[in-house]
Amino acid sequence: MNELTALREAGPEAPALSPDARSAARAALLSEIDGPARRRRPSRRTTLRLGAAGVAVAAAWSAAVVIAAPDDPGSPASSVTLVDFEMPTFPLTLDPVPDGLRPAFDGAGDGATIASYDAPGGEDGFTLYVAGDEPELGDRDVTATEDVSVDGEDAELVRYSETWCTGDAPGEDCHRRTSTSLTWERSDDQWVTIDAYGRYGTTTRVLQIAGSLVDRPQPATLDVGLAPAGWSVRGFKMGRVLTLVNDAYEQQEVTVHVPLPEDVIPADEVRSSIMGPIGPQLDVTVHGRPAQLVPVDTGYLDQRGWYLQAQFPDGTTFVLQAPGAFTQQQVLEFAEQVTHNP
Amino acid sequence: MAGLRVHSGARRPPGPDPVPLRALPSALPTDAELVAGSVTDPAQFTALFDRHATAVHRYLGRRVGDLADDLLSETFLIAFRRRAAYPPQHVEVRPWLLGIATHVVQGHERTERRRYRTLAKAAGQLAEHAADPADTADRLDAQALRGPLATALAGLKPRDRDALLLLAWGDLSYEEIATVLDVPVGTVRSRLHRARRQTRAALGDVSPLGDTSEETR
Repeated sequence: MNELTALREAGPEAPALSPDARSAARAALLSEIDGPARRRRPSRRTTLRLGAAGVAVAAAWSAAVVIAAPDDPGSPASSVTLVDFEMPTFPLTLDPVPDGLRPAFDGAGDGATIASYDAPGGEDGFTLYVAGDEPELGDRDVTATEDVSVDGEDAELVRYSETWCTGDAPGEDCHRRTSTSLTWERSDDQWVTIDAYGRYGTTTRVLQIAGSLVDRPQPATLDVGLAPAGWSVRGFKMGRVLTLVNDAYEQQEVTVHVPLPEDVIPADEVRSSIMGPIGPQLDVTVHGRPAQLVPVDTGYLDQRGWYLQAQFPDGTTFVLQAPGAFTQQQVLEFAEQVTHNP
Repeated sequence: MAGLRVHSGARRPPGPDPVPLRALPSALPTDAELVAGSVTDPAQFTALFDRHATAVHRYLGRRVGDLADDLLSETFLIAFRRRAAYPPQHVEVRPWLLGIATHVVQGHERTERRRYRTLAKAAGQLAEHAADPADTADRLDAQALRGPLATALAGLKPRDRDALLLLAWGDLSYEEIATVLDVPVGTVRSRLHRARRQTRAALGDVSPLGDTSEETR
């Protein structure tokens, strides 16, 4: 018996498909086939739910046809217990780091997979990607390829150009950007890609960067020292956004983000500038600095929540959005443990 | 009464048209024909549900338990909406449906992982009780594997688990897995290699695994 046979014979079993469940699924399909005219418009509440989950399930029950939630949602936590929390890390470090650049990480619950090193001004930089599988070359205009070696491992160097847009709207402020990509299997099941542009995009610089990689985990740019027990990291992006999710109810989240300076709301305008305030703006203190806390209706599954605008000790503003399962005191405790290392 | 005799090449006698013969099973439209036909005649798609609902539900149920009831519906709704893009030259309908089901499960990865952990815990508690002397050796072997298998599944990377379970529970070939996951076959091989290696390692001492040869369909 190999592991495939073991999975088939001793792996988890499926519950039987009941006649009722089969009928409901078939009726939902028939409803879809009949077309939208016969379906009732989903309520606002359900639409929000579907939008957040990104999927839709139609379920028809005899005469009434409704749009149902996509999964068994359980129920949101009505309270939380904050516990010590360790953020996932990026597995590699550059030693030395070129020009003292600082990385911003993207990742999910099992760790960061992208580290972006961009020089001020955006003209020069590089990105490290770490993956378990050999990455696929996307839709790029390859102009040259070269077989090279990194630490004795075969590697492929690809020079390509692509349209690069920096404007706020899609297709705005675009130009052709030439980059160099180097990919190799650094260790078993660890594929690394370096994507470099500007002055880091030469063969010499890319190989230098590759040669300076060491196995030393790096902490995330945005870190939380506490998390509700039973919650985990959903994702973090660009060193500016971090989302934790309730493992038992995936629609319940807490999000920390560092807005761009131009998006920071003046302290006396927080309540009037956000969606769904349901209480007064409370003046509180976080990291020894004035902060603004507003109870809100999230507009999502009747969940209430908190909107906190606060500052790190260096004066950089961050925003914490937490569900109503947090007490006011827990929101502040959580915020005190948020750190930022750009 | 004399028996009927058939004459080769005999002409049909004049009279009313004969009653059409009832279609034999071999004359039923194929899955691919039903998908193609449903583009202009959507009702044909219900026959695909009747043919494959049980198999799709079983695959989903092994992965997400009772949530399979909802995801079965979702899978067929997505398939119906995408029927015009179905690629008959690349993959048959059952693998195509299981591929859609796999993508649907991806939206519930935490639920799936939680289920495996719960099953592993339950299996561990069961193992603490003395074995029934009436149990056969095969049954005991399977019982011993349940917990470690569930633990192994919970610990796999989601995309590795997708490939492994499409192979083990969906009976898809490497090429079919590559098609429905939209990745190269080489990527499927590396994912399966990693998933199978980790599963073997997780089974450890409890495993009666003898043949660990790679299946390269």
